Amino acid sequence: MSRKRLLGGALLAAVIAFALLGPLHGADPLRQNLSDTLLPPGGAYPLGTDHLGRDLLARLAAGARLSFGFALLAALAAAVPGILLGLVAALRGGVLERLLLGLADAVQALPGLLLVVLFTAFAPGEFLPLYLGLALSLWVEFFRIARNGAAAVMARPQVQAARLLGFGAGHILRRHLWPEVAPLAATLFAFAAGTAVTTIAALAFIGVGARPPVPEWGSMMTELLPYYAEAPLALLLPAILIFTTVLGLHLLAGRERA
Amino acid sequence: MTAAILPRRALLASAAGLPFLPRAAAAQPASDTFRVVTSQEINGLDPSRSGYVFARMQVVETLTGADDGGLPVPQLARAWTLSEDRLTWRFELRPDARFHDGTSVTAEAVAFCLDRARRQTGVLGNIPIESIAVEAGGIVIRTRRPFVSLTAFLAHYSTAILAPASFEGEAVRAVIGSGPYKVARLLAPQRLETERSDHWDGPPPAFARASYLAAGRGETRAAMAEGGQAEMVAQLAPETVERLRRNPRLDIRVQPIPRTRLIKLNCASPLFNDVRARRAVSLALDRAGMAAALLRSPASAATQMFPASMAEWHVPSLPPLRRDVAEARRLLGALGWQPGPDGLLVRDGAPFRFTLRTFSDRPELPGLATAMQAQLREVGIDMKVAVVNSGEIPAGHRDGTLEAALMARNFSLVPDPLGTLLQDYRPQGGDWGAMNWSSPALTALLEELGATADAAERAALRGRASTILQDELPVIPVSWFDLATAVSKRVGGLTVDPLEISYRVAGARWVS
Amino acid sequence: MGELMRALGGRAVQALLVALLVGASCFLMVRLLPGDMAYRVAASRYGYDLVDSAAAEAVRQELGLDRPWLLQLGAWFADLARLDLGVSLASGEAVLDLLSVQLGHTLLLSVVALAFSLLLGPPLGVLTGLRPGGWLDGGALALAAALRAVPAFVIGIALMLVLAVEWDWLPVAGVGGWREVILPALTLALGLAAASSRVTRDAVAAVVASPYFAFARMKGLSDASAFRRHGLRNASIPVIAYLGLQLVTLIEGVVVVESLFAWPGIGHALVHAVLGRDIPMVQGTALLMGLLFVGLNAATDLACWALDPRRQGARA
Repeated sequence: MSRKRLLGGALLAAVIAFALLGPLHGADPLRQNLSDTLLPPGGAYPLGTDHLGRDLLARLAAGARLSFGFALLAALAAAVPGILLGLVAALRGGVLERLLLGLADAVQALPGLLLVVLFTAFAPGEFLPLYLGLALSLWVEFFRIARNGAAAVMARPQVQAARLLGFGAGHILRRHLWPEVAPLAATLFAFAAGTAVTTIAALAFIGVGARPPVPEWGSMMTELLPYYAEAPLALLLPAILIFTTVLGLHLLAGRERA
Repeated sequence: MTAAILPRRALLASAAGLPFLPRAAAAQPASDTFRVVTSQEINGLDPSRSGYVFARMQVVETLTGADDGGLPVPQLARAWTLSEDRLTWRFELRPDARFHDGTSVTAEAVAFCLDRARRQTGVLGNIPIESIAVEAGGIVIRTRRPFVSLTAFLAHYSTAILAPASFEGEAVRAVIGSGPYKVARLLAPQRLETERSDHWDGPPPAFARASYLAAGRGETRAAMAEGGQAEMVAQLAPETVERLRRNPRLDIRVQPIPRTRLIKLNCASPLFNDVRARRAVSLALDRAGMAAALLRSPASAATQMFPASMAEWHVPSLPPLRRDVAEARRLLGALGWQPGPDGLLVRDGAPFRFTLRTFSDRPELPGLATAMQAQLREVGIDMKVAVVNSGEIPAGHRDGTLEAALMARNFSLVPDPLGTLLQDYRPQGGDWGAMNWSSPALTALLEELGATADAAERAALRGRASTILQDELPVIPVSWFDLATAVSKRVGGLTVDPLEISYRVAGARWVS
Repeated sequence: MGELMRALGGRAVQALLVALLVGASCFLMVRLLPGDMAYRVAASRYGYDLVDSAAAEAVRQELGLDRPWLLQLGAWFADLARLDLGVSLASGEAVLDLLSVQLGHTLLLSVVALAFSLLLGPPLGVLTGLRPGGWLDGGALALAAALRAVPAFVIGIALMLVLAVEWDWLPVAGVGGWREVILPALTLALGLAAASSRVTRDAVAAVVASPYFAFARMKGLSDASAFRRHGLRNASIPVIAYLGLQLVTLIEGVVVVESLFAWPGIGHALVHAVLGRDIPMVQGTALLMGLLFVGLNAATDLACWALDPRRQGARA
């Protein structure tokens, strides 16, 4: 295993350990103390408190389980069908490719934000529809990267030669397409997971989304934004966790030789 | 990484360490423009929709105005009289008043606008007006019964007077008012630019131009004040006030305004039909903690519905609303609520659980609701918070699905709070007031107030009305409002209107 | 060339389909949303102080919300055929007038942001892609991840405080002159550059590792000229495909930046329209954005087609 993957794995392990070990500290992520608001780290609060005097360590750890899980879920739900359909489109071509491209356009012609806002409007305050709406608009990105990358590869002489020689689709996929598409897809995947969390922050920012008092990284940042001057660390802690997650995913998923 | 994680002090140091960096002219305004920044967007031209923008920027005028205490003062109407039977009002217009297109402000134009305002959504449709007519160059308004607050209603922005040329049929196509400033450029929903009107019959304003920018985020408004990029920043977010106070270029004015944050309860619900349950909810709230930590204004914790600044309605002798968790538990226990294994109250197998609706147009409301959620949890009440569109509160009132709502009620919607109270505490309840609660005594008191002109008698009636609301708690007051405004120290002669009717730019000037 | 014309003709048919689909689906979705629409419209018209049942009832009567759905949808299509997008339920202005202002502002913001991001992202991507695994590559990756992890509003506030408040170079927020567009565009550009630099870097790294690039080096070309002669075109295909996408995501991604910088754009307006159930606004916005999207796609197709010499040769 390369050094990069090791580092990526270590970063992810750190976030997971934080999510698992954070609750051992014992504080209730929902418990408020209005006389202890926006405290800096130290004392009874290892990472300080938020604007309602809630323990940030407890909230971040509880939020990790939620954000981490859902972000991966949304990214996977977008990446798997997106990449598969993209490869199929490039391999098969013809009517199928046109149909799939048309579908992708149709989805994308509806603004993604509109999709997410509409999805959340059906079940306000729930996270699942939010991430589903997100996956529905994110898959197109994977589809296009996979299809365009693969189409370029298919036009190469060595691939055309392989086809003439009678090698099956499986062979072309394994030997020529996948190595080309995988690194781009991995990059997208890591970023899509990050996008999932920051999108929640953005939705909360415009007044749509989470139901208080659920601890979730994205909505925590929005809640803490007004206090950026008094407690900048509290605002940035969720961002640091997202950063670690995105970077870890990226390094872990990235191509060996690159 | 990004600049976002650099501490602010480091940023300051780096800025100070680079003296050769040119300081661009962003803070140097065109010297004849007064720049206002506030939060409310411009949503259409019709006075019933965004009339407050054009009224505050002194583009349009109403028949009457109001002083800081809410008492009527002349505006387009120079004077008025009330008949002996207190049913017929006669308003005389300023003889030299002209609209921005140069035409005179005629009684016919005024009558048309008032009549239209009556048919549109707004405050005028709610009052007992019999007729609006033009008689001998004046406006004559007849009411079906004595209604002494009429002049207060005529100060509301939805009754603003526009020139006949503004209309295309009933629809407003341009805002041609009669105020000291006229519209120069409108970029809805964000920006309005105005310039001096050539036809203004009063003393010409010192500033030739004014601009209005709607910046929805409190952080943006604070930064604009700090950067010296506005002469006046209204509606400062509470978190930013302390920091802005330390800025030597700014004068921060905080004044209480007649607005109260309230919890509306469905009094027909088995949870809240007993006044003791409503009192228990009230006793569980940590108003002082919320006022200090979230609103940054300890004095804004409500002790009764009306703030002390509403001297006519505030009753100093009322026993104040307070926090007493033990008493709340005792009251709930007396009603048969017992704590279950998880600490939550249960009665006949049903939990004490309800959903509180609130909205984010007032940015502090969701935070307050979250704080109250934890406070009620301490006495065993399981309150869910739903952040919804503000329309869902009256909708839930009407279809009966509303259990509770946290809202902000404006008692200066018309400068006389009576108008709001009449709507909110009718026998059938009000969309933004009582729900499934009524008090014949209160109804009678409010009716009497509407018809009484004697000052001492009115004061007594108001005191009794306030007392009933405090005893019965059909709605639970949470906190009062402060209006925080940042005014550049380079500007003089500017007073802040606590009723938010006007920014009073026309009276302001540069200090030399 | 015939192939290309066919493709562009296909795009035209697609544009028509998009119009029908978007119009109908937006209408249905907004009508299907829970909650009483009349109250929502009244709330966005008159504000939270004045919305009440009387106002909602008046809205219901005025708009004929009790009419059958099909009748209302049919009316919208009939108007659309006359190029009339209707009147906003919230402000009472013509949707087309509102869109021309708001879409114009958003396009301006997006194009400036995209230009900034092109200056930042791809050059960094090429630099790091030519030396994959180096310290610059690592640093750029961390920077990109950081920019993606921090929400746009945090980046925006940081830029605001530094460039506008402390250094006083630019206006904090607002609209009116050319200087107001810089800060919001920069905020958007940083996020965009983060992604496009990585896509470029991967594409360049793939080209550098490919046999034909090695062959070019063996011919004796220097790294730089080998890349210019053989790498640039190949590497730019996925990058351009990605940029085409970005412009669209950008237009909707601007909502946060528009709110923060008080910019009268379409993202902000669209969210308000959905929340306020302003159906004509939602339909009109989605329609124009859909058509814009089809146009961009056609442009992207054209660019990719022009840049890929082998494909041209293979199909001719």
